[in-house]
Amino acid sequence: MRTRRLERRPRFGVFVTVLFFGWLYLPILAVALFSLNDKKSLSAFSGFSLRWYDDLVHNSALISSLVASLEIATVSAVGSLVLGTMLALGLERVRGRRGRVIGAVTLLPLVTPEIVTGVAALLLFTGIGLKLSMTTVILAEVTFSIAYVTVIVRGRLAGISMEVEEAARDLGCTPFQALRLVTIPTLVPALVGAGLLVFALVFDDFVLAFFTTGVDPQPLPVRVYSSIRFGVSPAINAIGTLMLLGSALLIVAALTVPRLFNRGTSSLDLITGGQR
Amino acid sequence: MATVAATDRAAKAPRSAQRTWLWGALLALPTAWMVAFFVSSMAIIVLLSFGRTTNDGYPAFALRTANYRAIWNDVYLELFVRSLVYALATVVISVLIAYPVAYTIARHGGRYKNALIAAIVVPFFASYLIRMYAWKALLSDEGLVNSGLRKTGLSDGVTFLNTPWAVVGGLVYGFVVYMILPIYASLERLDGSLIEAGKDLYHGPVRTFFSVTLPATRPGLYGGILLVFLPALGDFVSAQLLGGANTYMMGNLVQQQFAEGQNWPLGSALTVGMMAALTVLMVIYLRATSTQAREGS
Repeated sequence: MRTRRLERRPRFGVFVTVLFFGWLYLPILAVALFSLNDKKSLSAFSGFSLRWYDDLVHNSALISSLVASLEIATVSAVGSLVLGTMLALGLERVRGRRGRVIGAVTLLPLVTPEIVTGVAALLLFTGIGLKLSMTTVILAEVTFSIAYVTVIVRGRLAGISMEVEEAARDLGCTPFQALRLVTIPTLVPALVGAGLLVFALVFDDFVLAFFTTGVDPQPLPVRVYSSIRFGVSPAINAIGTLMLLGSALLIVAALTVPRLFNRGTSSLDLITGGQR
Repeated sequence: MATVAATDRAAKAPRSAQRTWLWGALLALPTAWMVAFFVSSMAIIVLLSFGRTTNDGYPAFALRTANYRAIWNDVYLELFVRSLVYALATVVISVLIAYPVAYTIARHGGRYKNALIAAIVVPFFASYLIRMYAWKALLSDEGLVNSGLRKTGLSDGVTFLNTPWAVVGGLVYGFVVYMILPIYASLERLDGSLIEAGKDLYHGPVRTFFSVTLPATRPGLYGGILLVFLPALGDFVSAQLLGGANTYMMGNLVQQQFAEGQNWPLGSALTVGMMAALTVLMVIYLRATSTQAREGS
């Protein structure tokens, strides 16, 4: 009797899992629901209305923050893709001590608490006399995101046989041609996934942006944060719902796009450490 | 013979030389970037922690230990201990939630496995800030939970916010995914027949779990503990949005020095102190877990 329990679904496990999903989604769904409320109340739903969304559209400060955040995320995604891919390609081939040291240093941002990276970047930028602006946010975000790209691209590179590239070399390609014509195209799914992931992470990132941004325009999360500190309101529910929806779509895309190419590892496998 | 060998070498040598040249060149730019923007920023924060504030309020480099002596006081130490306790509580609660969830999905998720994991990953990687706000809205005095309590007559309302539970709850909500994913990954790799063999040998599911499943998934568990502990210890958003002055953590202190207090040298010393404490904890943790892993295998 007792031994059979493991083969069946463990009731306790299912119970915790169901509770967990409820706990995970309930607060988010509540935010979305009350963003559609026609009254200011956050506990009694009195009727459907889009008035809070209408307010957002006419809030020019918020719109300029949104545009700023989109710009920051785009430039950071492209920048960290280029640098992260170069790093991944180089690290995959340059073995030995030099490769290990460089690899470790570039992974450091992942294990450093974000607040430390943030204040350190602030000190660096003010120290070299760079005025805090969107540029400084982008510089900080790229530095932070390179590691993500490198991890994902290296995961993909590990699944590609070096022999294909060698074959291209034997057929007369220069190393650069082999890279451009053979290796890079096989990396495309991983690059698309990594790019989308970094875009979503940077767009939502608050801590780094908070420490490295100038006054105007403020990135969206920073602006939202300062209004959240003052309290809860349906207008924040509306912008929060849009932010959640937007980044959820991006993450879904980041997870599924590499799968659409139907070749090996998707970003989900990479995040979860791969499957058998 | 000799000429063949020579042309052979000639054909090979430049190729490998070109290789190293190209790969080295690829590494150069990102390495320079990381040194310019990451390594140097870490160096500056260490340097400024020995600095001072000039009379007109600007930070300046110096060689003084005054900042370190200033952070060595009861108020800051209490905050440090509190952060540690909150972060450890976050880790423990995360393990208790993450293990059953990961286990159920990995071993009983069937063909919905990937969909279920994606359903966890997607909201977790979407806006941390908005998810913290969602809790604030739900638990606030006029929020859904309190109005529900009042309506059902269970209570006149409970103050959830500004309590340690709210802050730790926020941290768990923020970071539990970093525990679920590595545990899930190591459970996925675990051979199911091992568990069956365990059952044959030990009989009870509880004993099987503790002597087979848990040891086999130790690497994932250890990784998850690290991935949750690190961001939880440095967090300041949860304590600021869901807590108050009496639940502040180290992150809040650092944030105040840089954003509000404007004492950057003191803030730098706090940051360096935090990193030093983290490094010591990490080394102890990695040593302990690696010996245990060796004994386990």
